[in-house]
Amino acid sequence: MIQSLANWILSFDILSGLGSSLVWGLSLFIVAALIFVFVAVNAIVLVYVERKVSAFMQVRLGPMRVGKFGVLQTVADALKLLQKEDIIPEKADKVLFTIGPWTILVASVATFAAIPFSDTLLAANMNIGLFYVISISSIVVLGIVMAGWASNNKWSLYGAMRSAAQIISYEIPVGITLVAVVAVVGSLNLQTIIQSQGGVGNLFHWIPIPLPNWYIFHSPFLFLAAFVYMIGATAEINRTPFDIPESESELVAGFMTEFSGLRWALFFLSEYANATLVAFLVSIVFLGGWQSPFASYSGAQAALLVISLVAIMWTVFVKVKIGRLSMYPLGISILTTMAAWLFPGFAIWLASPGLFWIVLKAASIIFLLMWFRWTFPRLRVDQLMYVSWKVILPISLINLMGVAVWMWLSGEIQF
Amino acid sequence: MSYFNNISNAISTLVDGMKVTMGYFVRPREHVTLQYPDEVWPVPSRNIGVGELDAYNTIRSKLTVNINDCIGCRACERACPVNCITIDAYKGGPEEDLGTTSNGTKIKLLVANFTIDMSECMYCDLCTPPCPEDCIVMTPDYQFISNDNLKTEVTPEERWRDRDLLIYQFSKVPEEERQRLKTEAEEAAQAKALAMAAKKAEAEKAAADKAAAEEAAIAEGVSSQTSPTQTESSPAQDVIITAHPANTEASMETANSVQDVTEAEELTQVNISMDTIAPGISLEDKTDLPESENISGEEEITRINIPMDTITASITQEEKVELPENENNSGEGEDSEDRTTEERENG
Repeated sequence: MIQSLANWILSFDILSGLGSSLVWGLSLFIVAALIFVFVAVNAIVLVYVERKVSAFMQVRLGPMRVGKFGVLQTVADALKLLQKEDIIPEKADKVLFTIGPWTILVASVATFAAIPFSDTLLAANMNIGLFYVISISSIVVLGIVMAGWASNNKWSLYGAMRSAAQIISYEIPVGITLVAVVAVVGSLNLQTIIQSQGGVGNLFHWIPIPLPNWYIFHSPFLFLAAFVYMIGATAEINRTPFDIPESESELVAGFMTEFSGLRWALFFLSEYANATLVAFLVSIVFLGGWQSPFASYSGAQAALLVISLVAIMWTVFVKVKIGRLSMYPLGISILTTMAAWLFPGFAIWLASPGLFWIVLKAASIIFLLMWFRWTFPRLRVDQLMYVSWKVILPISLINLMGVAVWMWLSGEIQF
Repeated sequence: MSYFNNISNAISTLVDGMKVTMGYFVRPREHVTLQYPDEVWPVPSRNIGVGELDAYNTIRSKLTVNINDCIGCRACERACPVNCITIDAYKGGPEEDLGTTSNGTKIKLLVANFTIDMSECMYCDLCTPPCPEDCIVMTPDYQFISNDNLKTEVTPEERWRDRDLLIYQFSKVPEEERQRLKTEAEEAAQAKALAMAAKKAEAEKAAADKAAAEEAAIAEGVSSQTSPTQTESSPAQDVIITAHPANTEASMETANSVQDVTEAEELTQVNISMDTIAPGISLEDKTDLPESENISGEEEITRINIPMDTITASITQEEKVELPENENNSGEGEDSEDRTTEERENG
């Protein structure tokens, strides 16, 4: 993307005299700025969406006063945060206190350099993309520990220590889960991972429901691995069932306690950037990235898909009708999602179908994260460690072995 | 085995919880939020058991006055148990036309000051039945919101405890005019009080001269110990009778109308005795008393009148309905008003 941007700039006769190295630097800066703008705008939108989602799940309305349906609420909040006084506590470690939030932000924004938004829309196509994303996102814990230690506050330090323990614990099952996918692909390049998920195949290789060749449908083990990864990733980004680093009922605000104004806004920005990153990573690794789910169906396959979808929906509808809940949930949520995506989605789809599909998938995952957040209660510290070391880690190890066995059985690899 | 049971239990309960939240998420129309300034909760209407009138079956809240219909009779001020209504009414000039009320009654008094202190009001609705023009009403407005508060120079920090914002002024007379009328009335009252004091001093002097003459006469003859006390007490009793005819009448009326109101009678008697002390102690120093004390004494007298008025008014509603139509009644009201103003001037 950077090289193509540089080539595009150099294609103008007036600008061709600038020199290739200068144009390269300029396009580098432009791409970095684009990524940062994406992260910032994304955070503003997601905060609004999160507040609305939480409100609807709690039978409230959420922000309604600023703008129509409160759409400008987070813009006003962001402007307020920018105006706030820059407070550094007297006994705080000034240098670390200043660097901490920026470290977290840089770590979470830098990961987006490797995320492929479409087949061409990619800042840096590296052959170790997945490894890069995992390792860079781990720097976040460094920033959290810096912020917590520098605040010179017991709540902050507790939050930072919890965060360090939690992220280090959950990195291991998350890494092993992703290794299972890498074992199937045979590459760490994110673009290669996505391209290998093209086409249509049977569900779990043998069940005759034609589905896209996404890795979530590759085998029961990877199906389970997707959920294991979701759990581990939720813990890694400190979202609610695992938000003990900033558990507001115990630790005030955890490592963010002493921060205010712009620095606090940076924490918020990186929190939502991390959530978005996880959503993109799930959609890339398990849901086929920018691959369209309807791209390469034959007529018979499409008919079979529609029939099976209708059958699944019908069973779901009947099942829900038995309970006290009304039966609309699935249908209405699908319809509202489609309606909400119709106009912006169509524009994005016209510009780049790959971008449309990956953003749609990531948005669904983000909604899932929000759904988690406003449903589940927070875990205790010992429960958190129990889940990590005694449940998630064994399952991910079994997954790794099971995927290998599955590939041998299905004939993908031969000895 | 409990390990796997734990995992399956966790998954099933988490799915249950997610079902619940999704069920609410897709039904946002069932929200419980009331968007207050745009939406207002309906005012509850219920039968509080006082008659069949609609006005009694709604929640009583903000007390309001239609000042165009007010004749300044002070019936509501006297009826109020907590003294939250303050009225200053002055006689207009002979050629001044103050208009008529919507009932056709001619307004004879200029209502220069009509304030209701809503922080003191206890929403008892006792002030509305005595009103001969039905111009003071309890409205169902419970919000007490207006832009007027923004005009006052009160900082947001102290607005919450500024009680003055709950004192509502209903009179349309401008502030300078109100002050002018007030000072004029006070000056007139002071002048009258001075004249009265001079008169009393003369009377006392005459009495003292008489006593001195008697003493001189007795000194010549047989001396008696009781005469000086009689000379001190007798002029004070005269003052009571002349100065407070309304009070004595009021106590008589209560005794006639309601037999059980012994407490009110006692109170009036107590009040009278208190009043008798005031002029009795220092008749010569009367003019030196500060005006505020006079006013407070006056207020106590009006407060005593309350049970009588409210009871007579609320016992028979038919009479109350006929009251505004009867011109004689309103005339009597004005007469009593005149009496009270005289009282104030005298007191």
